[in-house]
Amino acid sequence: MRDEFYKTLASPIWWGALVIAAIMPFVLSSYYVHILTLALVYVALASSWNIVGGMAGQISLAHSLFIGIGSMFSAALLLKLGINMWLGLVISAVISGILGAVIAWIDFRFQLGHLSFVLITLAFAEMGSIVVEGWDFLGGASGLLLPKDTGNFLAFQFGGGHGAFWMMLGLAAICVLVNVAILNSPLGYYLRTIRDNEKAAQAIGVNVLRYKITAMVISAMLASVVGTAYVRYLTFADPYLLISPVITIEIVLFATVGGLGRAYGPALGALLLVPLGEILRGKLGSTLPGLHYFIYGLVVISVILVTPRGLLPLFERLWARWRGPAVAGKP
Amino acid sequence: MLEIEDLTSGYAGVPVLRGINVKLAAGEIVGLLGANNAGKTTLINALSGMVKPISGRILFLGEDISKLTPQARVELGIVQVPEGRLVFPEMSIRENLLLGGINAHARKHRPQQMEKVIGLFPRLGERLTQSAGSLSGGEQQMLAIGRGLMAEAKLLMLDEPSLGLSPLFVQYIFEIIDKLHADGLTILLVEQNLNLTLRHAKRCYVLERGQVAVEGDAETVKNDPRTRSAYLGL
Amino acid sequence: MTELYQALAQGLLIGATYGLLALGMGLVYGVSGVVNFSHGDFISLGMFMCLALYSAFAMDPYVSIIITVPLMTAIGALVYIFLIRPMVGHQFLMVVQLTLGLSLVLQNGILMVFGGEPARTPSFVESKLIILGDVVLRVPRIVAFVVSFALAIGLYIMLRSTDFGRSIRAVHQNAHAAALMGINVGRVQVLTFALGIGILALAAALLLPGTPIQPTQGLRYTVITLLVVVLGGMTNFVGIMLGGLIIGIAEAFGTIYLDGPIGLLLPYIIFVAIMLFLPKGLTWSSAR
Repeated sequence: MRDEFYKTLASPIWWGALVIAAIMPFVLSSYYVHILTLALVYVALASSWNIVGGMAGQISLAHSLFIGIGSMFSAALLLKLGINMWLGLVISAVISGILGAVIAWIDFRFQLGHLSFVLITLAFAEMGSIVVEGWDFLGGASGLLLPKDTGNFLAFQFGGGHGAFWMMLGLAAICVLVNVAILNSPLGYYLRTIRDNEKAAQAIGVNVLRYKITAMVISAMLASVVGTAYVRYLTFADPYLLISPVITIEIVLFATVGGLGRAYGPALGALLLVPLGEILRGKLGSTLPGLHYFIYGLVVISVILVTPRGLLPLFERLWARWRGPAVAGKP
Repeated sequence: MLEIEDLTSGYAGVPVLRGINVKLAAGEIVGLLGANNAGKTTLINALSGMVKPISGRILFLGEDISKLTPQARVELGIVQVPEGRLVFPEMSIRENLLLGGINAHARKHRPQQMEKVIGLFPRLGERLTQSAGSLSGGEQQMLAIGRGLMAEAKLLMLDEPSLGLSPLFVQYIFEIIDKLHADGLTILLVEQNLNLTLRHAKRCYVLERGQVAVEGDAETVKNDPRTRSAYLGL
Repeated sequence: MTELYQALAQGLLIGATYGLLALGMGLVYGVSGVVNFSHGDFISLGMFMCLALYSAFAMDPYVSIIITVPLMTAIGALVYIFLIRPMVGHQFLMVVQLTLGLSLVLQNGILMVFGGEPARTPSFVESKLIILGDVVLRVPRIVAFVVSFALAIGLYIMLRSTDFGRSIRAVHQNAHAAALMGINVGRVQVLTFALGIGILALAAALLLPGTPIQPTQGLRYTVITLLVVVLGGMTNFVGIMLGGLIIGIAEAFGTIYLDGPIGLLLPYIIFVAIMLFLPKGLTWSSAR
């Protein structure tokens, strides 16, 4: 593990940012805390997807399956079988990991091209969606309603607003740190070689299958865990949100616009676009149907035209300029 | 016919050519020599308009063409036969030749040009429907040159025509080049093969690291010690 | 047994149009390397334009193509010049995200103007039927089949025998060499994209009669087109048309034989099955 990782762990900027974030629930109104909580959920989800999509270059749309398992399945386990959600979290994560490994194996074994892989994972995601909507145990089309959140931590409850915020903050931080860790480890190096030229990587002896599976398993398990926490926060397990391919399309958007394959890129994308979407919906959602999404779409297009390499490189340039030309290095 | 004045050019702002001065008179056959990364292909691409100049200018028939698009340059008669042939692999010989003459200027006489090119390369005429990707290296080179001729070139630039060809084919190709020159075509010949070029080109420039190291007629260039050092990097 | 023939016929009829949609996408991909994820939303746009023209002037969709096709072609050119060309050379996924943003804009623009209720656009052929034995065929579907096939053949001839078609293929096979021939690569890219969008406008009119339309249907068409184009090997003409027929038939079988949501999965399942064993899709030899 390279020094960068340990430097990050010890970095005062990181801890400062975490502390400032942690104070937010006391400073902001509950509406904005809610928005930030949502943003953090997507920071975590986008960062988890980044491991497979950004670092390994495998554009997978199957993530809704892992999020769905983490949310719908553990909700069902609690409501239908009385299984504690902590246990449900672990079970879901394991199932997601196995499913992820299978998908990664299929990708490797059948030498799927990039667009094929996108569509095949989409096919799996749609299948998952249909299975859940047709299966009563998982709530069918009407979803599942979790018991009220009374703050009982042992029952995987956080007490609503503030508790949920801190839980999500913790999860988001962990997901980003996992990104940093991987990027600064041999795994990250191998994933990059696979992303840049899979055939060449294989030719020089990189165990492509093992690393693809590793990336997917980590990614899937993280997504699943976040899914469990997310459904607890929402209290209502809505299949149209949690296991629909649309959620994957959203997190891919955040990860890409923020900066694909970089540790902080997806976080940046989510932190910008989720609040934007929520605030637009809040202010304009009831005036003319579709207006808020219309504007959201325009913003996305504009941001991409202005920063085609992602937001992170832009921020890095601004950061360097702020610190002064002597420190900036390459402009 | 062609004057390159103090040209500095490169990719993404990084100069590969520095202050190049080259002249070609109409009807000449001039060689452009140099080791692998000396900048020969970059110079050819700069003449074709595929690489933008950082400073300096290019004059063709007295006009400054530095700002013209690649398309405009082809229409003026500046035609490149690229390194590696770059034939369109999934198209037939006939289609490749048709594409050679697709520019507005050449299109008017395309059928006649086609006959001329087939007359020059009868072997191509025998297999007009064969896909270009299935041709041998030598046949592809014939096709590439034929394609270039379809464009009604006034200045034909050949980038490493001998690359990867058997000695027999090299001889054949250069016989063609001599014939084209004898018919009055101005030719800029880029080659790594020193001796081959010196046999066919009356004048030569030797590039080294983006600059003209040696220039002069074939004898002068052959005997100049800097030529050898440019190739061996001494 | 009749069900089989019915499914087969319906699938073939719609499949030709799916193939046409995918040809548009394949051409654009071959020439610019771009996959337009708002493909289906342009179809939507075409359909709603026909609806608007019908509401305002009682124009039959088959007639309004006189207006919608040139209009959409122009829109396509503008979209390419201002939104997509600046992105050439950048990350593939980033360009995809831009087209997704465009998808949101188109979908919701339509939603804002037309509202979210499903709408029908009547056509003079809408309720006419042709009955062959036990199989019932609706005339709009037959028209769609014939026109789509004719247009596909027209495209094929264009690509093979015209200079424009040859320049498209040249840019696809080697853009650098194409530029050296004096081909204006940038212009070929704009025109190909605009052509693709124009084709969508035509297909929209073909698909419209008898179908209730909604602003949110775009994604469905985009996904179907993607399935067909990948199945067809991205740029292989025959492969794409064949892929269109296969997906069309799979969809028809799914709707007729399988109840509910599972039926919708059949095209996906067929797609996965084929791609796993033919990773390059249905590539035929050099029909480029």
